[in-house]
Amino acid sequence: MSRPILIRREQVLRGGQPLAFGIGLMVALVVGVFLLLGSGHDPLRIYERMFEASMGSPRAWSVTLNRAVPLGLAGLAVAVAGSMGLWNIGAEGQIMAGAMGAAWVARVGGDWPALILIAAMLSAAIVGGGLLALGPAVARAHIGVNEIITTLMLNEVAIRLLQWLIHGRWKDPDSQNFPLASMLTDNAKLPTLFERAHVGVVLAALMIAIFGVAASRTAWGYELRVAGSAGATARYAGISLERKILTVLVLSGGVAGFAGGIELSGNSDRITENLSNGFGFAGIIVAALALMRPSGVAAVAVLFGAVQIGGQSIQTMGVSSSVSTVLQALILFGAIAAGVLSRYKVEMDVADVQPSRLASGKSDTTS
Amino acid sequence: MNEASIIGLLEATVSFGALLYLAALGEMIAEKAGILNLGVEGMMAMGAVSGYVVALQTQNPWVALVAAVIAGALLGSIHGFFTVVLGAEQVVSGLSLTILGIGLAAYLGRGSVGRPPGAELVPVDWGLLSDIPWAGPVLFTQSPFVYMAVIAGYLSWFILWRTRLGLAVRAAGESASTTDAAGHSVAVIRMGAVAIGGGLAGAAGAYLTLSLTPQWQEGIVAGRGWIAVALVIFGAWRPGRVALGAILFGLTLALKTRLQTFGVDFSPILLSMLPYVLTVGVLVAISIRSRKRPSPAPAALGIAYRREER
Repeated sequence: MSRPILIRREQVLRGGQPLAFGIGLMVALVVGVFLLLGSGHDPLRIYERMFEASMGSPRAWSVTLNRAVPLGLAGLAVAVAGSMGLWNIGAEGQIMAGAMGAAWVARVGGDWPALILIAAMLSAAIVGGGLLALGPAVARAHIGVNEIITTLMLNEVAIRLLQWLIHGRWKDPDSQNFPLASMLTDNAKLPTLFERAHVGVVLAALMIAIFGVAASRTAWGYELRVAGSAGATARYAGISLERKILTVLVLSGGVAGFAGGIELSGNSDRITENLSNGFGFAGIIVAALALMRPSGVAAVAVLFGAVQIGGQSIQTMGVSSSVSTVLQALILFGAIAAGVLSRYKVEMDVADVQPSRLASGKSDTTS
Repeated sequence: MNEASIIGLLEATVSFGALLYLAALGEMIAEKAGILNLGVEGMMAMGAVSGYVVALQTQNPWVALVAAVIAGALLGSIHGFFTVVLGAEQVVSGLSLTILGIGLAAYLGRGSVGRPPGAELVPVDWGLLSDIPWAGPVLFTQSPFVYMAVIAGYLSWFILWRTRLGLAVRAAGESASTTDAAGHSVAVIRMGAVAIGGGLAGAAGAYLTLSLTPQWQEGIVAGRGWIAVALVIFGAWRPGRVALGAILFGLTLALKTRLQTFGVDFSPILLSMLPYVLTVGVLVAISIRSRKRPSPAPAALGIAYRREER
């Protein structure tokens, strides 16, 4: 009897991850064809429309880039924590917390000059996101509490805190019975870059670049990787794990909070509970596809932004936006499967193969 | 505050508690075998839509329930395939499963929004028992899902802690290589546990659309899948404690819409934070205590097992 097994390749296939990503995209698009046919649409026309609306013109690009900002920053937040082997899956809540910080400043500083107000809003956003991550960071660093669950739980807490504010003290007196926060004043809005794109695109790109350099070119980044992959070694080398965990998780939260501040100041008229429409969760997929590398995060975020914007555009053609939601998840699943093939090869396992050869992961019977 | 409104509150507490319990049991079984599945929200959505759509087609609520369980189990198996066979990160795969499930559910249910239900699972009439004051309406006129949750809770305790199969499942979650050495297939055990867990989440979703609401709309699961994930930790991976937690968290869900009628001047929004805050508190307490006593969490939870890298 024989069955397929996975054997680790001695060398990871070169260019494996971009290739895996491409395969994931193809898988998603092929499944998408069936979904679209199933709802009685012409897949080619729909895909053409999605492409045009997201990448077909400068205006389309500007909208896509705007969307790539929260996705990229959320992805960066996850990647920063991931570089140390930590999971921040609270980006969704931290985005909200950042937006709340920025909205609070915007309420206080309604008559400040635009530059000062926006700078203060974005700083408050970073602080807000960092604050939400502080609890899980302290708990993880000093008591060893699993950060996956604490950050996940705080998502739900943050969104309810925002709902509470919108229903209560932040409610616009002019909104009558609707629970809506007050409108932002014009000096609280990020300036335009081109077409619909706001300056946040540049700010996000800068942030990603800074972390990219810090992660790959500085001693700090190196220490993070050591601390993440070999805690004992790190301790021996005099690296304080507790402090590293604390700073990394709080920074990660701050980056996600920054996304919330930009999204509020650049893309919204007022803070709403839908401000982060799953950006924090999509950011985890973005970071995973980018293998936790900041440079990859930017590229994947733009592509995911295009898929999301394209997905919204086809709603006018009567296609449910759920199709684009499914596409995003399928890209990841397809890429994971393809990624495995760049690191492993499939062989038929003959039942009487000696265990030692399996254990070593090497096989001399095939090339 | 009168008697009827208190009975109403308790009745809703039991209903919501059972809903959370079904989903949490599924997650508990998967985690006991070593697989963290953060796709509960998506599996519940798929169960909810499958149940509703099949009920519309067949007018048979039981067939609809079976369809919901199968849909949940299939989605769970996707997570199983990626994490067990391909060794993918459980956090990433699980969250993607949530996104996939919510998206697929919205796609499949797009023609069913606002349609009257094809079939419902109506409350069970226990005859004399149902006429008992207080206990009758609270415990003995509930939807069949409530009794299924109780049975599922007992069965999962019995199988996990009183049978050889259960021992193998728990061993797979504590030490995969030992389980492997003992001659059990870690992959089969984990795949099975995740699929069964998905089936229970699917059933919980069907409870929404076949009994509680009963309607289909996007976003019907409304974060209850995350509460189920929290419950497993809150209940320290034990069916009995998870049941107690389910009642407590069910009470907060039931109270949410009733605070005003009880004349309590407290924000229902802040109240709904309680399950998450309590869970964080419990997690911290577990971690502090585990310096002296072993943590109740399965030791191999979240760790992929590859035989060749043993």
